[in-house]
Amino acid sequence: MSADPALRFEHVTIAFPGAEGPLKVVNDVSFAVGSGQCLVIVGESGSGKSMACQALLGIVPAPGAVSGQGIFWEGRDLLKSSARDWMKVRGAEIAMVFQDPAAALNPLMPVGRQIVDVVRAHRSVTRAEAERRAIEVLNQVGFPEPERRMRAYPIELSGGLRQRVAIALALACGPKLIVADEATTNLDVSIQAQIIGLLRSLKEELGISIVFVTHDLGLAPEIGDEVLVMYAGHAVERGPVREVLDRPSHPYTIGLLNSAPTLESSRAHPLKPIPGQVPALDEIGAGAPFRSRCPVVVSGRCDSAKPDWTACGGGHFVACHRFAQDGIGGVQ
Amino acid sequence: MTAILEGRNIVKTFTTRRGGQKHEVRAVGDVTVAADRGEIVGLVGESGCGKTTFSRILIGIETASSGTVLHDGKPVATKADWKALRRDVQYVFQDPYTSLCPTMRIGEALAEPLLVHGIGDKSERAERVREALSLVGLQGFIADRLPSQLSGGQRQRVSLARALMIRPRVLICDEIVSGLDVSVQAQVLTLLTELQASLGLSLIFISHDLRVIRYLCDRVVVMYRGEIVEQGPVERVFGAPESDYTRGLLAAIPDHSRRGEPRLGLRPAGHEGARLA
Repeated sequence: MSADPALRFEHVTIAFPGAEGPLKVVNDVSFAVGSGQCLVIVGESGSGKSMACQALLGIVPAPGAVSGQGIFWEGRDLLKSSARDWMKVRGAEIAMVFQDPAAALNPLMPVGRQIVDVVRAHRSVTRAEAERRAIEVLNQVGFPEPERRMRAYPIELSGGLRQRVAIALALACGPKLIVADEATTNLDVSIQAQIIGLLRSLKEELGISIVFVTHDLGLAPEIGDEVLVMYAGHAVERGPVREVLDRPSHPYTIGLLNSAPTLESSRAHPLKPIPGQVPALDEIGAGAPFRSRCPVVVSGRCDSAKPDWTACGGGHFVACHRFAQDGIGGVQ
Repeated sequence: MTAILEGRNIVKTFTTRRGGQKHEVRAVGDVTVAADRGEIVGLVGESGCGKTTFSRILIGIETASSGTVLHDGKPVATKADWKALRRDVQYVFQDPYTSLCPTMRIGEALAEPLLVHGIGDKSERAERVREALSLVGLQGFIADRLPSQLSGGQRQRVSLARALMIRPRVLICDEIVSGLDVSVQAQVLTLLTELQASLGLSLIFISHDLRVIRYLCDRVVVMYRGEIVEQGPVERVFGAPESDYTRGLLAAIPDHSRRGEPRLGLRPAGHEGARLA
């Protein structure tokens, strides 16, 4: 992480009203992204990863409430921004690429026009200038023959090309941060590799920062500098990608890695699934979020107190009572 | 040994109209795949390679343009043949949200295949429902629930239980773990290997995820544009792929266990057409 991160998400909580008090879908989560860096947020359904992304764009749906110390973007606190200020940031400085490009694009409008509209919403330029910009960004994302094919409707394009258009749309106003929420999830592996290659070149060649959200830990080393593992609304482990993958230190991260088949796995070495399922948010209470499925619970600690961050070395941190007490030997 | 289920020289063409012109699309071109008893055969390939169409032909949801489906070595021709085949071969769909009736309680949904095939009386059916639920690791009270009250993993287990109700010898599983979280996927894969071992089931397992295929299958068939490009035991195909397409597919897989080697698509040559300023 660079000394002066472009984005700091500090102790942010996102709560929705529930029958018995607020349900915290994101619970006191912090992270930072340096400029030109990529943070990979890994988590399964209900981990709060998508909600955290939505907070970065100020689009958490009502009645969700975002609170905390702040979401600092280039020195400004976005949490204190007015709706008007948000309009200037969203799309122009911070842009989002959604999971499903078929749903993110307007089906009734040629793709080129959608980019032109975004450019003209943020910049006072003529239609012809906006069209030149559309062609430029379509070129950047490797969209073939943009002058001609920008007149195509989304339905006339393949899934991979649609995702390229969605990324071009995000690039249109020259953002400094792109938030990609499961942006490669439904794509075939070869297309997925192309899209990740594209995002990586945006980072390396244009210096754009990226928050890349995925449920697939295998993607982290492909694009990420740092990784944040989330479980049931909590951040449980964070650090440089290779550190976390080589020395996973939270029982959930370890469980996730043992659950995922790799190219070397076979039935001779069975997967070790994490038993049980993700608890309902109102069942977590004051203790460690993973305790109901954890093989190494510290009795008397895990059910009563949230674990603090413990340093594992090399900028790698884990929030686990067992690790704090017994070190890496205790969690493995 | 005679295969339990075989699709031999299957061809499927669809006709589409575009601008008044008829176009023939060859979705499956001369594909032969067979499953022996207790064998797990993986069908892998990208969107549009014909793997789903081929598997639907095996159970008669789709009719082949030419070619034969063989059941215990005998060609399936008459309506009665197809009925006998469906008594032996069951299909599990990708999306348990759409394959389970939303207004039918799980117990009824599970008993339905028995009614269709005229198996057992009311109390026997209830017993079989309980058995099937416990086989897939679900508790008995699930029978009174509606699909909307279950999690994605539970629903996929119910779909499996439903396919197992009539005690088939072959299961065709079409992308049944692709929509699941990694930890739930591991639970379902573990369940499949246990069922295969305890019931001697054969599986035709369709997936685009080579990591899952590598883990689960004995043999793998790689398809591209409606044709088989390579097939063989998983160790051989993954260890020493013969076709360029398989090699490309393997190189494109994100894998946290692999170190230092870039994926194919991440090399400049594979990164088609991106031009950055």
